[in-house]
Amino acid sequence: MTLAFALAAGVLAGSGAYLALKRDLLRVVAGIVLIANAANLTLMASGGTRGESPILPVEGEISDPLVQAMTLTALVIGFAVIALLLSLVYRVYTGYDTLDLDELSKEEARHAREIDQQARDDDDVAEAEGR
Amino acid sequence: MSLALPLGLVWAGAAVTALLDGRRRCVAWLAVGVLGAGFVALCVLQAHVLVDGPRTIVAGDWPAGVGIALRADALGVVFAVLSMGVLLAGLAYEVVDDLESRHTPALVLFMGAGLTGVFLTADIFNFYVFFELTMVASYAASTYGGERHQIGAGFIFAIVNLLGTFLFLIGLAAIYTVTGTLDMDGVGFALAQSEPTAVALIGVSVLVAFSIKLGLFPFHFWLPPVYVGATPGVAAMLSGAVANVGSYGLLRFGGDLLPDLFAAGAGVLAVLGSASIVYGAIQAISRRSASEVLAYSAIGQVGYVLIALAVGGPVGYAAAILYAIVNALNKALLFLTARVRGWLVGACFAIGALSVAGVPPSAGFFGKVELFRAGIDARSAVLVALIFLGGALSFVYMFQIYQRDFWRDRHDTSGGRALQVPGVLLALVVLGLGLWPEPLLAVSREAAATLTGGQR
Repeated sequence: MTLAFALAAGVLAGSGAYLALKRDLLRVVAGIVLIANAANLTLMASGGTRGESPILPVEGEISDPLVQAMTLTALVIGFAVIALLLSLVYRVYTGYDTLDLDELSKEEARHAREIDQQARDDDDVAEAEGR
Repeated sequence: MSLALPLGLVWAGAAVTALLDGRRRCVAWLAVGVLGAGFVALCVLQAHVLVDGPRTIVAGDWPAGVGIALRADALGVVFAVLSMGVLLAGLAYEVVDDLESRHTPALVLFMGAGLTGVFLTADIFNFYVFFELTMVASYAASTYGGERHQIGAGFIFAIVNLLGTFLFLIGLAAIYTVTGTLDMDGVGFALAQSEPTAVALIGVSVLVAFSIKLGLFPFHFWLPPVYVGATPGVAAMLSGAVANVGSYGLLRFGGDLLPDLFAAGAGVLAVLGSASIVYGAIQAISRRSASEVLAYSAIGQVGYVLIALAVGGPVGYAAAILYAIVNALNKALLFLTARVRGWLVGACFAIGALSVAGVPPSAGFFGKVELFRAGIDARSAVLVALIFLGGALSFVYMFQIYQRDFWRDRHDTSGGRALQVPGVLLALVVLGLGLWPEPLLAVSREAAATLTGGQR
């Protein structure tokens, strides 16, 4: 059982990592969703069959109820995070007219050059004034 | 009661302001007022904790170990007070500068509630929940201003930090598998008797997760665009308040729950910390604009915290805590003063710059003194030389910006007297702690004693 959980979580995390390395932003978000669920599955597996029933005593093997409560919480948080990521993707789309990650890096480099140039211009002006 | 008060107050304030239009003056000042009330409540709590020892409340009066506990000890409460103070200064700056977005006050309050929860919880799963609350609010807040480059940087910030968060969640699942408990005391006790391989895996996932938040050298690549693009108030909050989660997490999980593992892995921590210091300083010297220099300086400065953690023991932990506090104050002060002009602000920026370089009379001097003490305690000449080299490099880059930006009066973009107030207050705190460091040293030693089990 532990092996099955481990394999499933491993496959999810691996596929997630593959998608997160893509250049299309929606695929990156899908990758994060898969990695989030790999983490949730690991959390589920951490209880195993060592639990005790919470209120009424029951015979036989029982899964730990605490991990299910934790996974539920983590799932809900995951939903909220994905909603936030999708809204960020939308804002990127309205700002850049594309979903290509390269455009984001280009914009980052352009902004860095711009502020560097600004500082250099200021230096030049100050030097000219000094003379 | 007083333990739940700051958390509940800020949380309720966040829920209310989320429904209101934050661009209206009264709503924005209400948010500042709630943060201020939370700050005062935390200060009172800190006074109680330092006098009477740690306080614990368990939700619903369940027996200990069953119910979910909130616990205020010297370590948690000092970080809570610090973060709330920085958030207060950052939000006040943005409110004076006229908010452009309706949800910023609510986001900052959610950050405050999340941070208070992170520092005051005794349950590792609740730690994750509050941690995620803080981070989600800061992803949204980092795009404040709505420029194209800010949204791009915010997206990368969110993706990279989410990977760290999920790694932490996996580490948390591993902790629960190994120990079968979520209470921090129980976890620390059970991990000490667990199989070393399992504990090592947990330690690595925790270290990577918090290093990403801190922006340590190999995990830093998301940080410069976010800090450079953010408005001054938001940059101050991210570097002075949200980044504390990383330092606190490393101290709590490394020093408190996995002390043997962190002692065994001290070499790794020292190498990561040194790489961060050197990389941050060299990058900062090569940059010309103030915001870029400060962003790379942030990467360099957290390296010192890691070095102190590597030394460990009462002296090392006290130095790590002290440096984390001083660094958060410095970064907040510098970001809040970097874009305002005037002689008063220039003086405040110079105090911050001296504090980063570790020159008296500023709080940074005592941060460096404690680091030297830790280096000598570890009998490592390399460490002492590195701390000195790092300090010298930071002196160079800080005064490069000072010379470029403040010695020229053409740049007069000062937005009125009120915009100077948060920076001036922080500068007074940094200066005051440099002139009368006894409380700061006592608090950091007290906090370190909670990690070493009372050993001083």
